[in-house]
Amino acid sequence: PSSHPMFSKEPPSLCVLVDSREISSGAEVISSLKAVHAVKVQVCSLSSSDYIVSNRMAVERMFLSELLNSTNRTKVTQRIQHLQSMFERTCVVVETDRIKPGETSRFFQRTQYYDSMLSAFVQAGVRILFSSCQEETASLLKDLALVEQRKNAAIRVPVEVEGHKQEMLNFYLSIPNLSYPAALNMCHYFDSVKKMANSSPIDIATAAQVSPQKAEEIYRYLHCGFDMQMLPENLCAKGKSGAAARS
Amino acid sequence: MTTKANFPVAAGSIVVPYGHVVGNEKWRGSEIAQRLQGKIRLIFEDDLGLVDFHISNRICILYISEADLVAGDEFKRRLVRFRNASSLGGIVIVEKTQISDQYFLAVQKLVVLELGMVLLPVANQREASQLITQLVREQSKDHNSNPFLRKQRSQLAEPAVFRTVQQIPGVGKTKALLLLQQFGSIHRLCNASVEELELVVGQTAAQQIYTFLCS
Repeated sequence: PSSHPMFSKEPPSLCVLVDSREISSGAEVISSLKAVHAVKVQVCSLSSSDYIVSNRMAVERMFLSELLNSTNRTKVTQRIQHLQSMFERTCVVVETDRIKPGETSRFFQRTQYYDSMLSAFVQAGVRILFSSCQEETASLLKDLALVEQRKNAAIRVPVEVEGHKQEMLNFYLSIPNLSYPAALNMCHYFDSVKKMANSSPIDIATAAQVSPQKAEEIYRYLHCGFDMQMLPENLCAKGKSGAAARS
Repeated sequence: MTTKANFPVAAGSIVVPYGHVVGNEKWRGSEIAQRLQGKIRLIFEDDLGLVDFHISNRICILYISEADLVAGDEFKRRLVRFRNASSLGGIVIVEKTQISDQYFLAVQKLVVLELGMVLLPVANQREASQLITQLVREQSKDHNSNPFLRKQRSQLAEPAVFRTVQQIPGVGKTKALLLLQQFGSIHRLCNASVEELELVVGQTAAQQIYTFLCS
């Protein structure tokens, strides 16, 4: 349903961005956020995290069973590393697995692997929250969004974009390690891509609401010289022949 | 573990030798202490104040038992006093049992969201000893062995730049390469005039690209 973007200066209701994959795996999280907590939920293709609760914080929802043994090790570490490269703050919500029909209770055998994963998270500053069900996860997400709002990090721009703005958003999202809210902020701050490209790192930091280091990274990316030789063959196969035909 | 300490944390800084844990004297003889023996070197000290274990010079553990939770709000005062008095990183280990489960969410909210500390639930002292062992091992490990601390290798910019330029409506691989060969960077491409663009991709595409970048 199309709702009107909110342009008020006051932070309106809390806003949480939700990855579209969560529609199937976290249906009750989403409905609870909306119905119980009156949070504005925007479903988008985040590709990185499950939830984004502020300009700087991503939240990954994990099942306890995913952390009990090393079967999912690569998947789990890659997901968290990816978030760390984009967001200042990363949070993991460890949710107790749902009891399947026929099971009376789930026996949770704590493992050394589980403790070592928790320890690695703690050591690296990854925040951890524990939840016993989807409704609790929703409540934690709301609490996180609220804390972030208090710290002035809430997402304040309209989260729905269309037309030219949508195209600009896609352009900004292709910048390496740029988070969805940062791209969204740039979209609303800069009148044009050209204005963005001609901005200083300080301007970029203000516009995107990112750290000075991240802004510097973006600035370098916009200015870096493109070396054709460094492009992997498989990427430019078609392009190269086209380029050759023209010259 | 609600013994009242006159001071929140040890006066002066506690030096924790490598691979050791400094435990509060009150834990001597406890199940945690017994189970830690042989896995890590545990030294007891008096005067640790509110802290139960120091696992490094900068990180300590505060333990909240099931009994503490049931007893009321004393443990909250203890946590707040610790937080206000100490710059040490605090890990709160809390006994989450069938009996104390009902308090868990409120404790988590206080510890993690309000005090900004770490909270890790365990079922009993046996689990706590296993967790503390791993926390200590993580402390004494090389940073590179923690996948979440490892410096990530910087990626080549070229494939990303190539993808970014293809986000311009009407620009596919072929035009993207031509544009990048001509202008060399996203910044320079964004500052190209329509005439300059026309020379590379023709009139129609040039207009489309120019409109996208400049409006």
